[in-house]
Amino acid sequence: MATLEIDKREFDELLGESLDEQKLIEEASFLGAHWHSIDGNVCEVETYPNRPDLLSVEGLARAYRGFFDIETGRKEYEVKDGDIEVEVDESVEDVRPHIGGAVVRGLDLSKKKINGLIQLQEKMHETMGRRRDKLAIGLHDLSTVDAPFTYKAVEPEKVSFTPLEYDRNMQLGEILDEHEKGQEYSWILEDEEKYPIIEDSEGKILSFPPIINNQLTEVDSGTQDVFIDVTGKDRATVLKALNILATALEERGGEIESVEIDGEKMPDLSPAEFTLDPDYFREVSGLDLERKEIVERLEMMKYSAKVGKSIQVEVPCYRNDVMHQYDLIEDIIIAHRYTNIDPELPNVDLIGSQRDIEDTAEVVRDIMTGAGALEALTYIHNSKEDLTENIEREEGNFVKVDNPLSEDYSALRDLITPSLLEVLKQNKHRAYPQEFFETGTVTELDESSTGASNRKKMAYIKSGANTDFTDAREKLQVLERDLGLEIDVETDERPFFQDSRAGKILVEGKEIGFIGQFSEQILENWELNHPTAGFELDLEKVHEHLKK
Amino acid sequence: MKLSSQALEVLKILREDGPQTVTDFEEKGLDQSMVNRAALDLEEQGLIDLEEDEEFEQVLTDKGLEVKEKGSPEYRLVQKASDGSVEISELDDIPKDIAIGKAREQGWIEIKKGEVHLTSKGDEIEKDLVKQRLNEQDFTESDEDRGLIEVETSTKRRLSPTEKGEGLDLEDVELDFNVEARTSTPRTGKKHYYKNILQYARQTWMEMGFEEMEGDYVVPSFLNFDALYTPQDHPARELHDTFFVENPETADLSEYGDKVEHVKETHEDGWETGSRGYGGKWSEEEAEKNVLRTHTTAISARTLHEIDINEEELPKKFFIVGRNFRNETVDRTHLAEFFQTDGIVVGKDLNFANLKGYISKFFEKMGYDKFRLIPSYYPYTEMSVEVQVWDEEDEEWLGMGGAGMFRPEVVKPMLGFEARVLAWGLGVPRIAFMAAGLSDIRELYRNDIEIINETPVWRPDWR
Repeated sequence: MATLEIDKREFDELLGESLDEQKLIEEASFLGAHWHSIDGNVCEVETYPNRPDLLSVEGLARAYRGFFDIETGRKEYEVKDGDIEVEVDESVEDVRPHIGGAVVRGLDLSKKKINGLIQLQEKMHETMGRRRDKLAIGLHDLSTVDAPFTYKAVEPEKVSFTPLEYDRNMQLGEILDEHEKGQEYSWILEDEEKYPIIEDSEGKILSFPPIINNQLTEVDSGTQDVFIDVTGKDRATVLKALNILATALEERGGEIESVEIDGEKMPDLSPAEFTLDPDYFREVSGLDLERKEIVERLEMMKYSAKVGKSIQVEVPCYRNDVMHQYDLIEDIIIAHRYTNIDPELPNVDLIGSQRDIEDTAEVVRDIMTGAGALEALTYIHNSKEDLTENIEREEGNFVKVDNPLSEDYSALRDLITPSLLEVLKQNKHRAYPQEFFETGTVTELDESSTGASNRKKMAYIKSGANTDFTDAREKLQVLERDLGLEIDVETDERPFFQDSRAGKILVEGKEIGFIGQFSEQILENWELNHPTAGFELDLEKVHEHLKK
Repeated sequence: MKLSSQALEVLKILREDGPQTVTDFEEKGLDQSMVNRAALDLEEQGLIDLEEDEEFEQVLTDKGLEVKEKGSPEYRLVQKASDGSVEISELDDIPKDIAIGKAREQGWIEIKKGEVHLTSKGDEIEKDLVKQRLNEQDFTESDEDRGLIEVETSTKRRLSPTEKGEGLDLEDVELDFNVEARTSTPRTGKKHYYKNILQYARQTWMEMGFEEMEGDYVVPSFLNFDALYTPQDHPARELHDTFFVENPETADLSEYGDKVEHVKETHEDGWETGSRGYGGKWSEEEAEKNVLRTHTTAISARTLHEIDINEEELPKKFFIVGRNFRNETVDRTHLAEFFQTDGIVVGKDLNFANLKGYISKFFEKMGYDKFRLIPSYYPYTEMSVEVQVWDEEDEEWLGMGGAGMFRPEVVKPMLGFEARVLAWGLGVPRIAFMAAGLSDIRELYRNDIEIINETPVWRPDWR
């Protein structure tokens, strides 16, 4: 998502009408760009990645001219035949294969308009351009260079020019190392031996995409004719971006002129064609609109549409997001306004249900709270340390995160007990004795297709001056009594329990958990001052034994 | 003699354990106000002596703590001017009015043309005496005048049995029963307030006829992204948004059979979905990478795959309330792990008005009467909407999550045939926040005994 700052006066001028702030704040967001605030003349507008054509005040005004019924229907953009050619050298094939170009003439650019263009360019770089990797844009003052241009890749030390924001000649490699933009985007050219450049017929450099332009071609308030270059790794994206830029400049009073790139005339501003089935629209939307009404709403979203048996729709050349009839349906409903649709529940007879294991977990929650324990809710994330060293366990078999925020989030727990030790640690300033339980989920490594599955477990812990193994055993017996199970405890060892006070919990001879009193070492690891005991059960195994 | 039962209890403890302070009683689990009332009662009857010790303690104020940590403003000023002079405008990171005032008072500096110059006396300063005093707790009056320290008074009540109290025959005591007096509130077992609210949400979906679906935290990118028509170069798939799994690193996608190929073709050219696709090449290797699910919508995608039914068996309704994981920096308003509730309705003749119907019903049951949908964007839904509810208390619209209709590019490959799917992913932590009066989202998982104990049970239509 991108947040834009636009000037209300510019917006009104382009819109051709002055809308009051209240209407904008309350209604404009229903187009699909959120109007957060209007402070004096500064409007803050947030747009979504599916609509890069809304990343400029020109694009927004164009869309709202339709949405507010000022000027509906698709706008036909004229492209005059131009004579500028760009030759594409084979050498770019492996580095940055695609380039698009267009010329816009007769512009009258103020400082403010130029800032708007820079904003559009930067926001497109960030979103649609995936931080300039997929797409990079250059705008040049055409009067400073001489066509034809060549797009080629060169060895870094072979070429030098004075980049924007610097006052000396630099080689391409130097720019990557020293220039702020070079440092920021050098990752895109990592491992490349040759770097892409655009040069004119006399060998003057226009641009070193995707890094920086030559100062020579900088667009300023005296610039009348602009050459737009878009380079990138995906041809469709490059051409779409070119259309967005060329039409935005046209909205500013410029005249678009074609550029011949390797023999192909650009930009191609012809619409894409879609067929919309009105019945399909009615079924999906739940709105019973006439064909004429559907067409009106399409036109409010700047499409052109003709009614036949079905509706023939022409999608403007700057729209990047229309892939399916569903996309047209959404726009028709948007024009109709989401607020004008009444909620409707279909009359369907279905019985609700929960997972069996959740019901068992509910019963256990009731029993444990009835027995006096406080319920805890803890993170699934754990540190590797809490699952190993801090409970005196050898390297454990649990899910490990590749890119954790910090050590605290480096694993997913396979036991709940460490989480409850942490809860005790967090509550040391509160009165004792303290007892907690949690029914929760853990993740265990297994043979499933991902290699790890969720599992429901429950754990109980008690800490206090007079607490010992018996307290844990008592609570286990409450569960045994209320669940109607027969539970046995057999002497066992666990690294975190005292040697003589640890056991495994069995039902019909099958192990379902462990119980014990924590060792001095564990109390020290978790900074606990009182004797502490507890148990942990595999709730899914308990559940199996409960079921008939 | 007549005594309240509480007074009798306090007296018994004093006779057994000897003199105690009110704090000692509190540690035994007795309520403070109850002990105080009992103490007055017992004193009146001459059974105990009450002593009140006033203790004075000098403690550092916030200002004092800052000085203790960073040094006194005047010393920091002298340090900044250690080259002889410094411009006043460069002193923004220290409290400069105090610094200049104090340093001048001591004759350490002179001010000329907006610059601070060290005097010869100032040049000789080597130690921050103020900071040293605070560190050694060797306070002077001037520290108090400057507001670096303040005096805290605390009263300690000490109860000791008199001879009469020790000798009283407890058999002779008549209980003076006071029904109007408050007693202490016992400590009991209790459920966690947030879990209860999540439980309420689950209950609500069941009442609305939804069936619970299940799924794991570790899912292949295929489910979390690709099946949900999220392009492979989408920013959400980068390391700074999604947790990838080191072990187990990849998933075996063979259980999805032909669907993997169908998803691939859908991304590339739309396959049989009526879409034009994204273009470009789709990589299966990318789809095999395990991630911690970033939304429960991954489980909705899995359910489309798993239900394995034909058109006649529709409609179906599913829900899940579960945790998700996102690579976010944790602070007062963000967690790296959070609950979300997803739902899908799969049917042949569902529409956008129905989506509005289900969501408004759910939030009405959760206590929000007014709601609205605003256009938004998700790669896997179209219409994509943001769900907002009207908060009566704060008088503002609150974002509660996203919703929409799954794109045909999601439904046909995963379900195997065309159908309409209403889908949503909503959050309810806001409700828990209000119920427990929290201002920091991390508190939801901190399990402070006091907060769990004191938070009343939540119901949407209770005050």
